[in-house]
Amino acid sequence: MGKRKYFLDLNDLQYKQVRPPLRKRVIRFLFWFTASLALSLLYISIYTSFSGSPKVHLLSRHLDDIKLKYLLANRELDSSMEAINSLKQSDEIRYRPVLSLDSIPGMIRNPGFGGVDRFTNLDGYIYSPLIKSTRIRIEEMKNMTSVQDHSFSSILERAQEWMHEMDHLPAICPVDPSFRLGDGFKFREVHPVLGIGRMHYGQDFYVPYGTNIYATGDGKVVEAGYNSYGFGNYVVIDHGYGLQSIYGHLSKIHVSKGDMVKRGRLIGLSGSSGTSSGPHLHYQINKYGSPVNAINFFNNDITREEFNEMIQAFSSGSSFR
Amino acid sequence: MPKSRYRFNPESLSFDKIRLGYKSVLLRGLAYFTGSLLVAVAYYIIYASFFDSPKEKALQREISQLTLQYDIIQKEMEDLGTVIGQLEQKDDNLYRAIFEAEPIPSTQRESGVGGINRYRDLEGYSNSDIVIETTKKLDRIKKKIVVQSKSYDDLFDLARTKEDMLVSIPAIMPISNRDLTRTASGFGLRIHPIYKIIKFHAGMDFTAPTGSEIYATGNGTVEAVNTASRGFGKHIIIDHGYGYKSLYAHLDGFNVRRGQKVERGEVIGFVGNTGTSVAPHLHYEVRLNGKSIDPVNFYMNDLNAEEYERMIEIVSKTGQSFD
Repeated sequence: MGKRKYFLDLNDLQYKQVRPPLRKRVIRFLFWFTASLALSLLYISIYTSFSGSPKVHLLSRHLDDIKLKYLLANRELDSSMEAINSLKQSDEIRYRPVLSLDSIPGMIRNPGFGGVDRFTNLDGYIYSPLIKSTRIRIEEMKNMTSVQDHSFSSILERAQEWMHEMDHLPAICPVDPSFRLGDGFKFREVHPVLGIGRMHYGQDFYVPYGTNIYATGDGKVVEAGYNSYGFGNYVVIDHGYGLQSIYGHLSKIHVSKGDMVKRGRLIGLSGSSGTSSGPHLHYQINKYGSPVNAINFFNNDITREEFNEMIQAFSSGSSFR
Repeated sequence: MPKSRYRFNPESLSFDKIRLGYKSVLLRGLAYFTGSLLVAVAYYIIYASFFDSPKEKALQREISQLTLQYDIIQKEMEDLGTVIGQLEQKDDNLYRAIFEAEPIPSTQRESGVGGINRYRDLEGYSNSDIVIETTKKLDRIKKKIVVQSKSYDDLFDLARTKEDMLVSIPAIMPISNRDLTRTASGFGLRIHPIYKIIKFHAGMDFTAPTGSEIYATGNGTVEAVNTASRGFGKHIIIDHGYGYKSLYAHLDGFNVRRGQKVERGEVIGFVGNTGTSVAPHLHYEVRLNGKSIDPVNFYMNDLNAEEYERMIEIVSKTGQSFD
């Protein structure tokens, strides 16, 4: 309608072109603008009340994605928790019983998340509980891992002690186990040389002259020489843990006082020195200075071949430890 | 302007009154409406690019906080994963040191740190609902499987109660070992803890703290309750009949007398470290007609197929025995 519009001026009865003043035009424009705004607002409010704004849609979707991420993160945490629990099981069920260590009380193991709420700064959001619970879980698990770490350290320490003890105990037969055992730890009515009743504190092995005698556990040679009171050429090894092993009536000694010896080390050859009526080994174990029955320290459950294999392995260092 | 409007008609050279027809009123209305819609959209776009609605603002706030925290969480989880990995390494080293064997990865461990990236490839999809729904479904199926296996157990029970022999011969583990972690060393060639050579191990070792209960693995009569200062130390032998006997060694104490009738599951003694033993443990043997046989095949009441497989795997490793 590009055509000009006219109106009838009743004052002079003439058709005059409609030409509104600027003020009027501005007012009219403002009126239309306001009306359009109001109308727009109406449209938008109707639209959003039915389906929400597109931006909100987009944002909600984004939010859903993040929530999914949290869900997945929590699933990962579930598996981390399983991993931690499996470590705990190893610790409590595998190692502690073997090493005779007491178990760690649940309170310490699972310190939880007590005390001051470090995450108050996360409050005030709709998803605060989600964030907080996730972070608290991580925090708890961190605490658990640090407890676990300490626990493993103490287990390792104890395991090393245990292995040390296992290596140091005089736990094998000092000679080839196929040799016949002689008199044990008992009162002998008649001593074979002295001919009188006497307590026999060791375990005798009937071995021929020159048989290899091995250290029965790791330790330090505290005596190696001649004893005129009966043992003849003898060796005493201190194994620690209050235990000493004594090897008497030797013909030859291969170690000297102060030597550190390993289990299976050749320390001498058998003989009949000292108070002895024939070639044999007198093997004695003292616990805190008092003799105890040496036979309880080893088993004769090993064949000659196995014994030789063992000695071989110990001396070549190719054993399993 | 209530006044009538006129239009100059150049053909008739007269002023015609502007009269709007029905159609043109409608058209014009439509045009106005469309125009106003367009204007509204334009306004909205301008508005939205400068301002957020309160709801959007709230959402934005949530999103930015969630995203920020998620980044922190990711970082922390990575750290946690590293720490767990290190601990697992320590665990393996301890296992090697104490049991002289290659550690067996636990099922938890496989799904644990190893699986830390399991879900990462799911991220970025906006079909969160599907994922969530699927995981829920999976959980339901898992539950169903448990129920199903329970019903098989019932069937098995029914068959089992049929015969006296099946209650007599050893069929459970001698100590409580649901998760199998107490299994230390199996039957066969094992490293001797002292001799450090490979020797035949006639039984199975279970590690447990001193004082743990030991159960009779089948009905029978206590044949022997002995105390030896070496070898088996304090030990019990149960005669189950049908040629089967079971032996429990290195005990700390007894809970039965010689000649006593025992039932499967009855507490007969307590784990100890007596005799030739390097640590508190139970040495368990099953003997058929005087010959030691592999006890691993005598836990049928305790183990399902999967656990049995696992047990086999554990005991097949050449580890160290404890006696």
